[in-house]
Amino acid sequence: MSATIRPDLDVKLRGAADFGVDVELPGMLWGALVRAPVASGRVRVLDLGPARALAGVVAVGPADLAELLPDRAESTSEPILPREEIAYHGQPLALVAAPTLEEARRAAARVRLEVQPAPPRIDIEDEFPQWPHGAATRSPSIVAHVLARHGDLERALASADRVVEETYRTAGIHQVALEAHACVACVDEGIWRVRTSTQSPFGVREDLAARFGLPERAVVVEGTWVGGGFGGKGAALLEPYALLLARAAGRPVRLALSYREEFELGRSTLPAVVRLATGVKDGRIVGRRVRLLLDGGSSLPGRDFAVGYSIGFLLGPYRTPAFEVEGYGIRTHKPPFGPHRAPFAPQCAFALESHLEEVARSIGADPIAFRSAHVWREGDTTPLGQPVGPFGLATALEGAGALARRWRATTGPGEGVGVGVGFWSTSTRAGGEVRLELAPERLVIVQGEREIGSGSVLRGLAVVGARALDLPLERVRVDYESTATAPFDSGVYGSRTVGALGRAIVDAAAGLRLTLAERLACSGPVELGVDDGEIVAVAGGTRRAIRALLRPEEAARGIVAVGRHYGHASEIDETRVVDGSFYPYTDFTGAAHVAHVAVDRETGAVRVVRYAAFHDAGVVVDSAMARAQIEGGIAMGLGTALTEEAIWSEDGRLVNPRLLDYRIPTMAEVPVPEIELIEGFAGAGPFGAKGLGEPPIVPVPAAVAAAVRDATGAHVTELPLTAERVARALKLL
Amino acid sequence: MNDDSLTVNARVLPLGSVPDDERLLDTLRWRLGLKGTKEGCRTGDCGACTVLVDGHSTLSCLALTRELAGSAIATIDAAESDPDVAAVRTAFARAGALQCGYCTPGFVMALAGLRKELGRRAGPPELLAGLQGNLCRCTGYASIARAVTLLAELDP
Amino acid sequence: MPSFELLAPSGVDEALAALRSAGAAGASVLAGGTDLLIDLDEGRTTSARVVSLRRLPWRTLDWTDGALTVGSTLPLRALEQDPEVRRTLPGLAQAVAAVGSVALRHRATLGGNLGRAAPASDLIPMLLALDAEVEIVGAAGARRVPVEGFVHASRRTALGPAELIRSVRIPGPRPSAYRWQRVRPSHDISQLAVAVAWVPTARRWRVSVGGIPPRSVRLPEVETALGDGRPSDAALARAEEFARRAVAIVADRRASEEYRRHLVGTLLRRAIDPVRDAPGGPG
Repeated sequence: MSATIRPDLDVKLRGAADFGVDVELPGMLWGALVRAPVASGRVRVLDLGPARALAGVVAVGPADLAELLPDRAESTSEPILPREEIAYHGQPLALVAAPTLEEARRAAARVRLEVQPAPPRIDIEDEFPQWPHGAATRSPSIVAHVLARHGDLERALASADRVVEETYRTAGIHQVALEAHACVACVDEGIWRVRTSTQSPFGVREDLAARFGLPERAVVVEGTWVGGGFGGKGAALLEPYALLLARAAGRPVRLALSYREEFELGRSTLPAVVRLATGVKDGRIVGRRVRLLLDGGSSLPGRDFAVGYSIGFLLGPYRTPAFEVEGYGIRTHKPPFGPHRAPFAPQCAFALESHLEEVARSIGADPIAFRSAHVWREGDTTPLGQPVGPFGLATALEGAGALARRWRATTGPGEGVGVGVGFWSTSTRAGGEVRLELAPERLVIVQGEREIGSGSVLRGLAVVGARALDLPLERVRVDYESTATAPFDSGVYGSRTVGALGRAIVDAAAGLRLTLAERLACSGPVELGVDDGEIVAVAGGTRRAIRALLRPEEAARGIVAVGRHYGHASEIDETRVVDGSFYPYTDFTGAAHVAHVAVDRETGAVRVVRYAAFHDAGVVVDSAMARAQIEGGIAMGLGTALTEEAIWSEDGRLVNPRLLDYRIPTMAEVPVPEIELIEGFAGAGPFGAKGLGEPPIVPVPAAVAAAVRDATGAHVTELPLTAERVARALKLL
Repeated sequence: MNDDSLTVNARVLPLGSVPDDERLLDTLRWRLGLKGTKEGCRTGDCGACTVLVDGHSTLSCLALTRELAGSAIATIDAAESDPDVAAVRTAFARAGALQCGYCTPGFVMALAGLRKELGRRAGPPELLAGLQGNLCRCTGYASIARAVTLLAELDP
Repeated sequence: MPSFELLAPSGVDEALAALRSAGAAGASVLAGGTDLLIDLDEGRTTSARVVSLRRLPWRTLDWTDGALTVGSTLPLRALEQDPEVRRTLPGLAQAVAAVGSVALRHRATLGGNLGRAAPASDLIPMLLALDAEVEIVGAAGARRVPVEGFVHASRRTALGPAELIRSVRIPGPRPSAYRWQRVRPSHDISQLAVAVAWVPTARRWRVSVGGIPPRSVRLPEVETALGDGRPSDAALARAEEFARRAVAIVADRRASEEYRRHLVGTLLRRAIDPVRDAPGGPG
């Protein structure tokens, strides 16, 4: 069997896969956005008249929402279109549609827009100059505050042999899926319908229904092929606008972002400053204080998830007897902080791992041995009191350490080898359901997600289904249905697809076996097989073709079984939480990576020579798919590590909204990595699988930084490690 | 075919009704309904829109359709007849060299163009060096590199 | 309604006339289009008329009496792949290969690159080191301007409103090298670049620096310091020192002043090394 058979290879190689940007409906209008010309200020005049005067143009502004959405409750949640206050540069203020894109853009430019600019808040350290001191106040700048403690940190640090205190800074980064956001919407006979490139059709439906004041059955979201998500397509973005235009126009409306708009409107990881202080005594960590200052962009208070989620990664998968973690989310005039792949975890791992190396060196300990001595094993307790489940990170670290030693023995001048560790918890708690349809010749898994690229939907779920029912893979097909008819699922994000939907398939398969047992009038276990091209069910001595077991009403789809999975997490010990919300871990996975770099000692340029990844994979559902995720995550991580950086001007504009100067790795910058998949530490997924979509990016910047330090002694405390930053750290400038 | 037409996948497109400012990318996708060629950055930095113009890889987002009068355009949509494109597709299929598939048409046409330009005996290093203008965010390029190796081993 | 009128004149005179008659609405010249089309999209240029050069007979590459004349609309890829260019003007081949991607170089041209006069152009510093001349045609006939006098600043050159670059002439083969530093090595705009050539006939060095606004510059002090042959280590050190002091360095989003100043010496030495040891070099 070819390990790389995927049902979507052919359609994509022929260019026949329709992505969001490809959708075309008869009579479709083209939408354009009227966007804020400044990062901060108030709208004084928004006159759509000059646009509407153009032939064929439809325009929607905040004043039209009451009429277009009569059932929408006034609320203080994020406005669909702001009435006055501008939150970030380029924020959509009004919407325009016209027969061609050119006309729509021209009409948008004709809108009379007068704003009163105000000084934008851009730099988080400027906004909170007392940080890391200063207490949480009810400041409009503070959008989130979390604080948790355990143990007597003061005493621990006071008794420590050594306390190492450091500050790290990390840059904002973008997902850079090559397909920009795009959708086509139409409103017809009370049904608000949108075809869109999204990671979460049901999430979009829920968001639209809530914001528009509609019942969910009045909203239909149909996903297209997705040209990369990486977190950036996990929530509604353009769909509300396209639907409003479609409602106003009485025709379908296509709305797509230009690539510049992708950068300027994108919701992703924003800059951060991390302060870490760790005390060690007798070679062991006795306590850590963490201070996190995170740019929340224009996230609203209470709607920010990043701070409470990420702060755990700054304690990391290491036994830390006493700690205090405090995080602030700061509101700035940028788009809201949004999820990137393993949101903000690579940045946290970079800071923590680099810090632990510094701590180890300060006491003359080997950095890898030091981490090995502290890394969690099953049965340990997380900082917030959850028991650690089966966890293979120690094994991964051992493998990485051994390889790093071997590689180091071969390095030349200017070269170095480093190990980085990353921990992740997948989002398998978020629930999902599937419908199995067992027909005479095949099993069809009906579910509500489109394939976004990893293969987790089209192949991963098929493999689980085949395995759950002992059918050949060729007999299993995964079908997609829109929100109108598909079983609910939370979305393709958080490395949860095979985990959650896979468990739902296993659940449904169990139900299917029961049904078959009933039909066979047998109480024993039912096996499935294939005879002469048809699926047969066998139990006891009885062997019947599925065709013969179908009831009349099952003729079209076959025997149906529904399965669901809604995961759970163990409880956080709330006595450790002083303020804010923290997120429990659902499962435990991680990886240890090894980077071999060559650093140009004159320019500071870093070249990755070799790379290896050791991953705690639980049970490998599909080896090729697993490796592909790791290869892709590593490349993305190398971008975060070395070249990716969103840069804002003082007046709040993105300086580099273009792929030429927001630099993602090309083929020349990414070596083909060696990969080892570690099995044996069961995860929350089917058969013990663990999600692999996000873990591969987490350790990368940490591994690269460690390698650069090994090569040069330079301790760079900022991401990305551009040549100039390395040159500075080497004191060349 | 004269100076006021070109061919797309061997079919003649008269240029009389094509506006002066129309990009080849938009002519292909919206005028001709050939959606296989993808729009990426539209600034020449990602390679997603790569097609072949008279056998040379070309960024269709940065080409005016009328500028290409007299040329033969080849796109991913109908390239069964082109042996280089077919060879690249075979190599990509065997190597499973795609995930979301958005960059794939650009990569296939860019690689086919390189194969035409450098010859079918061109080795992986030359071919890989020529692909730096094609970005991929999903695969980490590893499976694409495997496809390039397979391509170089295919019978010409 | 198209946002501009596209003309494709079949000869030079017709092309010049199209430029002249454009009037207040202005005309832009279209060679490969890889810069112009982005400028039009982003509103940096609002010409009502675009004059395409595609029908002019300027896609040429000629060696005559040892001098190389490159037609202004020859695609860069053709220049990059020419075996004689690679052999006798290696620095030029390196500089051309550094521009964008293969697909981009199938359309981008030398004329377009010179006309755009980007401060970080990879071709201009190398053309300076090769003593290249630009052949311009206009109403008053043809004239030749050294590249050094041709480029003023970003998008500002010696070209008059109704003039065109017909070709670029490089006097002869020169051992040469082009070295650059970028944030992303494979496909990026240079933070700094150094072009070096050895002039065998005159036994002189040519050194120029690119990547720093407003334009690439020759470094005569450095050239003198390198002497009339294979420079000694001391001469090299003096040359590096002059380079660091002579170049007017500014910071921009790509690099700080200190980093650029630091890079000048390193890239200078790395460009000189291969030329010093090249066959036909100073010996």
